[in-house]
Amino acid sequence: MAESDNESGGHTGNASGSNEFSGCREQDRFLPIANVSRIMKKALPANAKISKEAKETVQECVSEFISFITGEASDKCQKEKRKTINGDDLLWAMTTLGFEEYVEPLKVYLHKYRELEGEKTAMMGRPHERDEGYGHATPMMIMMGHQQQQHQGHVYGSGTTTGSASSARTR
Amino acid sequence: MVMADEEENGVSIQLEFPKGRVKKIMALDKDVKRVSSEALFLVSRSTELFLQFLAEKSAQVAIEKKRKTVNLEHIRVAVKRHQPTRDFLLDELPPPSQAAKPDKPTQPAGRPKLDPAPRGTRCIDQFFRKPEPENTAQAPGQPPENPAQAQSPENPDQDQAQSPVPVDES
Repeated sequence: MAESDNESGGHTGNASGSNEFSGCREQDRFLPIANVSRIMKKALPANAKISKEAKETVQECVSEFISFITGEASDKCQKEKRKTINGDDLLWAMTTLGFEEYVEPLKVYLHKYRELEGEKTAMMGRPHERDEGYGHATPMMIMMGHQQQQHQGHVYGSGTTTGSASSARTR
Repeated sequence: MVMADEEENGVSIQLEFPKGRVKKIMALDKDVKRVSSEALFLVSRSTELFLQFLAEKSAQVAIEKKRKTVNLEHIRVAVKRHQPTRDFLLDELPPPSQAAKPDKPTQPAGRPKLDPAPRGTRCIDQFFRKPEPENTAQAPGQPPENPAQAQSPENPDQDQAQSPVPVDES
């Protein structure tokens, strides 16, 4: 079900993106500035302010970041003759492009994301527990699931060494 | 159970950015065909991390320069200090010359000045109304007119014909 949605969504987005860049599509090239502004304010001191020009510039920067990471992951998929970009491709891309410090916190998020997805699947009437969910996963996912680093509590720790180790294993 | 884990680790999987928009941005690359839900999730989350990083570094620059407001120049400096970010972003930032934007001055509309006639000005018509009885009554009340009328040869005749009483008195 989810995969099907992704496919249709992907095609639609691709068609829209490649066919036209009209005025109504202009805003689709950026993330909503309200969301960008809110996250920026969370990261700044309480008394700090952000100029409108700075918000708009950062809005463009994050869109550029998405395109940058996606492009690298897409190249990897093409070399391996796969059509669907998956999570591992993106983790690999971030490591390659110098954002390896993001990989460890992202794995923590991904772990919880999969747990939630597993529960959603269970709620759809499938008779299996969360633990059994891993039984249906691919060997790579099983390996990732059992890594000790996955269970670390810190979110924004340095994790440089751990990240490198994970990268080495992935490669 | 999941909720408990989230509370303990302080980690939430609630995404800050709309998935549809993130997907559209990813799809701007023509080579991108399909994206799994996990990939979409990871891109959204990594974008949040990148945004937090950029905001924190920009704030540091602003503090170093003793400013309370983060502006474009602070972002530029923050980008330059991080090699991976600099590699893909420095060329995308607007040049410094465009940072200053002049505002258009608003010109107020000029008022048309009215020049009304000053009060006290007399109309020339009043001289032609003197033969009337009403004007004659007003004439004695206005001393400055008497010398003018006296000098005129025609005026004395009219005065005598119309008002014999004052002549007799003088």
